[in-house]
Amino acid sequence: MGKQIIFLFALLGLLSPLSSLAQQSRVEVNAKADTDKIRIGEQVKLRLSATVEQPTGLTVVFPQVPDSLSHWEVVTRSKIDTAGDNNKKIFSQTLTITSFDSGHWDIPAFRFDVVQNAGGATDSAFTGPLGIDVGTITVDTTKAFKPIKAVRTVGWNFWDYWLYFAIGITVIIIGIGLFVYFRSKPKKEVVKPVVPLIAPYEAALQQLQHLRGEKIWQQGDVKQYYTRLTDILRAYFEQQFNIPALEQTSEELLQHIKPVTILNQQRDKLRSLLTVADLAKFAKLHPSPDEHEAAIQQAIEIVEWTKPAAAKAPETVKEEIKQP
Amino acid sequence: MENTSTDIRQLNEKIHQASAFVDLLNLELSKVIVGQRYMVDRLLIGLLAQGHVLLEGVPGLAKTLSIKSLSSAINAKFSRIQFTPDLLPADVVGTMIYNQQKNEFVVRRGPIFANFILADEINRAPAKVQSALLEAMQERQITIGDTTFKLDDPFLVLATQNPIEQEGTYTLPEAQVDRFMLKVVIGYPTKEEELHIIRQNLNPQNTAKINPVIQPADILEARKLVREVYMDEKIERYILDIVFATRNPEDYKLQKLKPLISYGGSPRASINLALAAKAYAFMKRRGYVIPEDVRSICFDVMRHRVGLTYEAEAENVTSENILSEILNAVEVP
Repeated sequence: MGKQIIFLFALLGLLSPLSSLAQQSRVEVNAKADTDKIRIGEQVKLRLSATVEQPTGLTVVFPQVPDSLSHWEVVTRSKIDTAGDNNKKIFSQTLTITSFDSGHWDIPAFRFDVVQNAGGATDSAFTGPLGIDVGTITVDTTKAFKPIKAVRTVGWNFWDYWLYFAIGITVIIIGIGLFVYFRSKPKKEVVKPVVPLIAPYEAALQQLQHLRGEKIWQQGDVKQYYTRLTDILRAYFEQQFNIPALEQTSEELLQHIKPVTILNQQRDKLRSLLTVADLAKFAKLHPSPDEHEAAIQQAIEIVEWTKPAAAKAPETVKEEIKQP
Repeated sequence: MENTSTDIRQLNEKIHQASAFVDLLNLELSKVIVGQRYMVDRLLIGLLAQGHVLLEGVPGLAKTLSIKSLSSAINAKFSRIQFTPDLLPADVVGTMIYNQQKNEFVVRRGPIFANFILADEINRAPAKVQSALLEAMQERQITIGDTTFKLDDPFLVLATQNPIEQEGTYTLPEAQVDRFMLKVVIGYPTKEEELHIIRQNLNPQNTAKINPVIQPADILEARKLVREVYMDEKIERYILDIVFATRNPEDYKLQKLKPLISYGGSPRASINLALAAKAYAFMKRRGYVIPEDVRSICFDVMRHRVGLTYEAEAENVTSENILSEILNAVEVP
């Protein structure tokens, strides 16, 4: 008889939503949804709570909710929150769940384990079932299909680009700063090229007169005498008529003076002078003193001959060169 | 011993007389060669300066005819070797063959034993044959078996390169090209010259024959005189300036040429430029060298001695362009 009574109590404990421990300690568990009707994909806040009267000497273990329940998906889980006073404590956890199947779906009862701290006796408490309607979007089938909507542009937002603006403004400020700095810096004096005060033909004449006065051929340096003589003439042609005479041989020079009419008229004189000079420079020819004097005289005459053209040389020469 | 003014005047007269054969030669050669005066002049420079000539030009420009006629006019022995990919060194220099009657090996001399050699399309033969020929050119002697044979004097090699067909050719290495004193690029004759060539070739009665006007010994004498042609220090320095400008163009205010030149002229370039200028002065019947002589021969002596970079090739810059820039920048004494 005694054994039968114990079995009966045990059976009642199993069948009852609140066990004896729970009953004795007045432990109350609850599951509550914030709505009983959603559209497919919408989320439901499901609050699981356990209210325990104090002092209890009991430990309440919250249910381990899997990621998926039947027709339901768990999106997030909050941490277990504790509230209450000296008389009772409320433990709660909020689950965010959703469903992608339309219909009326029950959320199964959750089991809370209640463990007695002294002795380790365990009991369970179950929440009541919940039913939530998951409805689909109403489609008006009488209307025609609509095309897919175009991609929507996101509105311009300053904060998306603030960094670029900041860099651009910084660069502009630095640029302005450098500009102001260099502008205010005292400028170095530009050294203007020294423009020769005398015309090329005057310089050539002066140098020829100077060479004549030096009479270096009298000291036996005939080669040096003719080298300087021809160098003066070549430099004069280069400056006055833009003929690269210093880089040309005697024959090339005679060819290149052809377009310069005024110089070409003195060609024979120039040829004989260059020939004697070449012989003196490259064949150790020692012309007579009269020939030395004649050479410098010829050079002076060539420069003098071109003197009238010298003043208006640039235009004259260009025009003459253009002629075929 | 330093030359005096009188020495040079005497030398000038001597050379004026001795070089008279140049006009005779030109006159004789003009019987069969129309135009190509430039090429003939360079052949004579090579002959007088004891240097070999590399000719570049398309086929049919009278290269063979020129050298053959020149050898006839000098009464010298001429030989032509057509270079092919299967040519062997023995085909050029000769070999030892077994004589059954005498029961011994005897030397069979190759075609190189002549005064004038036309090495036609030298870049078609493999490097082994090229080097055999170039060694003979340098040493002027040939060794077959245990015997060394001195080559005939005068000895002039005229090698040709075909610039059109490059397939199946063995390009001459720079070091070997440097052994040629002159590289002459010949072009087509003028319209008038070509008209003359047609008439000359189609006329059956035109059987002009080249007669010997001088002997090889005269050439050897002339060579001695060429070496005596007076070259002033100013000209020597001018030559050095040109050659150094190919090596260090930046020293001559030609920085823009620096990236275009991979290597400049060697000391052999300076020697050959000086020697060729002397030969040119001799041909102009002068006993002294003037800057014109150097400039006239400069392109032929230097064009194969200035290496171009990839950059220059990409920009279609030739060695002639570079040399022109240099000649326009270096001051003439």
